[in-house]
Amino acid sequence: MSLRNITPVKEFEDILPEEYKELVNNGPHSKNKSIDDLGTFKEIVEQHPHCAGCGVSLGIRLALASLPSPEDSIVIGTPGCSFFGLSQSALNYSNTAFGNQSAVASGLKRMLNIRYPDKHKDVMVMVGDGGIADIGLDLTLHSWFRKEKITTIMLDNEVYGNTGGQESGMSKKGTVLNMAPKGKNFDKIPVFDLAKTSGCDYVAKVTVANPKKLGQVVKNAILVAREVGPTYLQIFTPCPTNMKFPPDQTIKIAKEASKDSYSFEEFMTDKAADYLKSLK
Amino acid sequence: MYFTVKVDEEKCIGCKLCILTCPEANVIKLTENNKVCIDTNRCKGCFLCVSVCPKKALEKGNM
Repeated sequence: MSLRNITPVKEFEDILPEEYKELVNNGPHSKNKSIDDLGTFKEIVEQHPHCAGCGVSLGIRLALASLPSPEDSIVIGTPGCSFFGLSQSALNYSNTAFGNQSAVASGLKRMLNIRYPDKHKDVMVMVGDGGIADIGLDLTLHSWFRKEKITTIMLDNEVYGNTGGQESGMSKKGTVLNMAPKGKNFDKIPVFDLAKTSGCDYVAKVTVANPKKLGQVVKNAILVAREVGPTYLQIFTPCPTNMKFPPDQTIKIAKEASKDSYSFEEFMTDKAADYLKSLK
Repeated sequence: MYFTVKVDEEKCIGCKLCILTCPEANVIKLTENNKVCIDTNRCKGCFLCVSVCPKKALEKGNM
């Protein structure tokens, strides 16, 4: 939402809550804030009902703090844990039926291209692992085949957190979860490798334990999606409630994962690399 | 009983690691003299900031 949209009329200024006034006066709108400035400006996410120590809310917070232009960003979500934090943000956010996020985002992007031909409107899909790898896999893959210029961000907590900890397609093989009492039978769905071969121009894999890299990767993905083609990010966001570890261990678990299964990986096509170089 | 975090201002060096690991937005902020301050009313008490602080300037506490 642009600053003009959220600025109140003079008559209502004194009855608005303090948080709202701070967002208008000290928000990130058109000030080019990045992840290094966190703590000095008012963030666009507000109080949310995520559990204590939640990795998903940390991922959302860091990703939204590193948007290149929050006033021109539109986020599409789907039911799941990520919905709680995103619906409390001062962004244009739209919730869709489970799995439909990429189709809705494609339509919105095409419409916005016609309505604002001289402006970049960043359309992002930000959903959990259930929305992309299980239920929305077909629509996600087809949006990449069609070369829609949208950014897809997966907040991978390896479990269906919102419904009580059932096995998801992105859970690790052998993990004991609800609905998988003998351990999960098959491997993680290789969405990362699928993205590379399905036409994405920029693909990266990070964890929340490395915030600076996360911020840089989100910025690159959105910039590439403006001009070149579809981009995909996979962020590891551990879930203390359903993976059953204490809430102060989230960063430790993410750090351990970044040493083996979730090591930092970045892939870009030559076209995307040239475009990023030309910006610098 | 509610859990929250207390800051020892003498030990804090303003490295902002706690700000980058807090899952709650706008709870830990940087003051003008480069120290952190915590909005204790909105802290959920996950103690992620305590676990990453290199100088042990943050302490577990009760409200």
